[in-house]
Amino acid sequence: MSWLDGTVLVTGATGFIGGRICERLVQAGARRVRALVHSMHRAARIARLPIELCSGNLLETDSLRQALADSTVVIHCGLGSARGIVRGTENLLSVCREGKVKRFVHMSTAAVYGLTPPPGSEVEDAPLRLTGDGYCDNKWRAERAVLRAGQRGLPVVILRPSIVYGPYSAWSTRLIADLREHRVALIDGGKGACNTTYVDNLVDAVFASITNDRAVGNTFFITDGEAITWKDFIRVHMAMLGLKEELPQVSKQEAAAYYRNRPGVVAGSVKAAGRILRSRELRQLLLQIPAAERTLSALWGRMQSLPEEKQQSIRSRVGVLPKSQVALKNGFVIPDEITLATQTGTVFFSIEKARKILDYRPRILFTQGAALVEQWLRFANYL
Amino acid sequence: MRPDKIRLGILGCGTITRLEHLPAALAHPDVDLIALVDSNTDRAHALAQSRSVQCRVSADYRPLISQLDAVVNALPNSLHAPVTLDVLRAGVHVLCEKPLAIKASDAEACAAMAEEQGLVLAVGMNRRFAASHKLMRLVLDEGALGSLKSYRCDYGGAFDWKSASGFYFSKALAGGGSMIDLGVHLLDSLIDWFGPVSKFSYQDDNWGSGIEANAILELQHSGHYGLVEGRIQVSRTFPLQNRLLVRGREAEAEVNADDHDALIVRRVIGGEQVSQTLRLPNFPKTSSFYKQLDNFVQSIRGTQKPEVNGKQAALVLQLIEDAYANARRIPEPWSEIPAGIATQPGKVMA
Repeated sequence: MSWLDGTVLVTGATGFIGGRICERLVQAGARRVRALVHSMHRAARIARLPIELCSGNLLETDSLRQALADSTVVIHCGLGSARGIVRGTENLLSVCREGKVKRFVHMSTAAVYGLTPPPGSEVEDAPLRLTGDGYCDNKWRAERAVLRAGQRGLPVVILRPSIVYGPYSAWSTRLIADLREHRVALIDGGKGACNTTYVDNLVDAVFASITNDRAVGNTFFITDGEAITWKDFIRVHMAMLGLKEELPQVSKQEAAAYYRNRPGVVAGSVKAAGRILRSRELRQLLLQIPAAERTLSALWGRMQSLPEEKQQSIRSRVGVLPKSQVALKNGFVIPDEITLATQTGTVFFSIEKARKILDYRPRILFTQGAALVEQWLRFANYL
Repeated sequence: MRPDKIRLGILGCGTITRLEHLPAALAHPDVDLIALVDSNTDRAHALAQSRSVQCRVSADYRPLISQLDAVVNALPNSLHAPVTLDVLRAGVHVLCEKPLAIKASDAEACAAMAEEQGLVLAVGMNRRFAASHKLMRLVLDEGALGSLKSYRCDYGGAFDWKSASGFYFSKALAGGGSMIDLGVHLLDSLIDWFGPVSKFSYQDDNWGSGIEANAILELQHSGHYGLVEGRIQVSRTFPLQNRLLVRGREAEAEVNADDHDALIVRRVIGGEQVSQTLRLPNFPKTSSFYKQLDNFVQSIRGTQKPEVNGKQAALVLQLIEDAYANARRIPEPWSEIPAGIATQPGKVMA
């Protein structure tokens, strides 16, 4: 019996990656796909598909038990709130141990090494350490929970993609909006490693993790395996818009100095604070300043004391990906702190392990992926 | 208090009741709110409390029906027709949220029941009560655009309606996606202006037994302005222009989603494009839902007719039903996977 004849549960199904996984499962002929949906109003994309939408929450074990039911494959892309990343994963794992799950594919992230991964983190067994960034650290903690469940007998596979792009991706829609508004600068010449992962390549890796038994218990970096820089990534989007002018340049030092001198600019709202709180680099910078320290500590404390639901709503507004970059009046562009951290890495992750064990072959090259994104952006009225 | 106040019950205490129907009912001098009904009585109680309303709260409308003159039916779509029929049968007037039914034949049955009982059945098409609807009619009747060429109607954005029950994404409960939800408003207005639809072609992005997020309907109307061709596009996933543009030989008129109480008319004068924003200065500032409720109240009193009745609603629903039945898939070339892992049948798992 093929795994496609059993029930497949997808968490995080209303997201960009989870949504595409649902579509691909339908295209592959999966008999029964069940999507765990926390925010029903975000389900427009997957509601088009002949799949089951199952209302539930990673933090409510009963709802997970109901959603899981007879599922034999679980693809876990759900995040939940900051604490939910870990607790939600633990809840799901514990429910899976009770069920008939034959494969648990955990969507982790290369950001377990931080938003700016240190040199040496090219391969999967590079040592991990806490980065101080809530998202990165919680994704690492979630990985550990998955591995523990694996040791207890659950057949788990961990995938660590990096910059996953494709139709519907906010990397592209936000970049297009920012380029239109002249809010994009090349940081350090745009030479930072982008580690693009076309979403369908990632789905291929998910499917390979399910069909290939040698994958069990393993962790894999998944990228397109091409040395694409942020300059390359930004340039293809400029071409879609027909923009030919040179982008403003900014160095990491200049941007850091800007934030050092104007803590109020970023610490001025809860919204901004949410982003700051996930950026260790900036937090440390700001903590050197007494006034900012007070603001931050107060906000941090307040955020932690809020009910889970509220934290989640703040988090959903703040988002995981960088928000729009900051544009200044004199035309000088300062990227926000997450963009700064994300676009200044030097590490290109190796996909050798995935090639060897998963037989993973990225089918869509960057130029093809970019062309598909462009087709979608045109249809969706972004271009 | 007028002795002949209309005793009203609101069925369904979801988002549209909280935002619109309840405030309108509380503001209307001729309406006495008797009951809030919702299968989730906690939700109904919370709503009553939030507005300090003293009224009955119930999980079922049936025991209360003899105490009511009229109801607003704001239940999930699949309950619109059956509950409307039941309430009319009990001798009570109904203002029903759109769509009146999921199937046109059910809408017709509601219209027939209202007629048989001599009761008012009004259908919630609040856009009819925006000033732009009337302004468009005035401008068209005046011939201000010249002979009509075509229209384009684009409404879309990331879906963000926080439905209390989440029924929107269930085919069984909602009946469809963006077309039956939003398209129904647009078609109602367009058919009112340009007349019945004589030809159409429809495509959407429903992959099978799901519901569409995106839909494109191309139409031809034959009405009092002759043949008018148009195109409607609706989306729940992408931001669209959010406007209706009607093009004539001499000028064009635009209704923008930002301001449904204005009509922008553009024409070329002396080689320059000029635009003019038309408004109705004496148009009351009340919400479109208040005006809709008032039209319902006046219809019960016999001084007005419902702006949209069951028959008109059935006509629009018939078109949507036909469109669904003849739907073609919107091409999604970015979704097509070249042969390889994805299209291979899954291997046997140990």
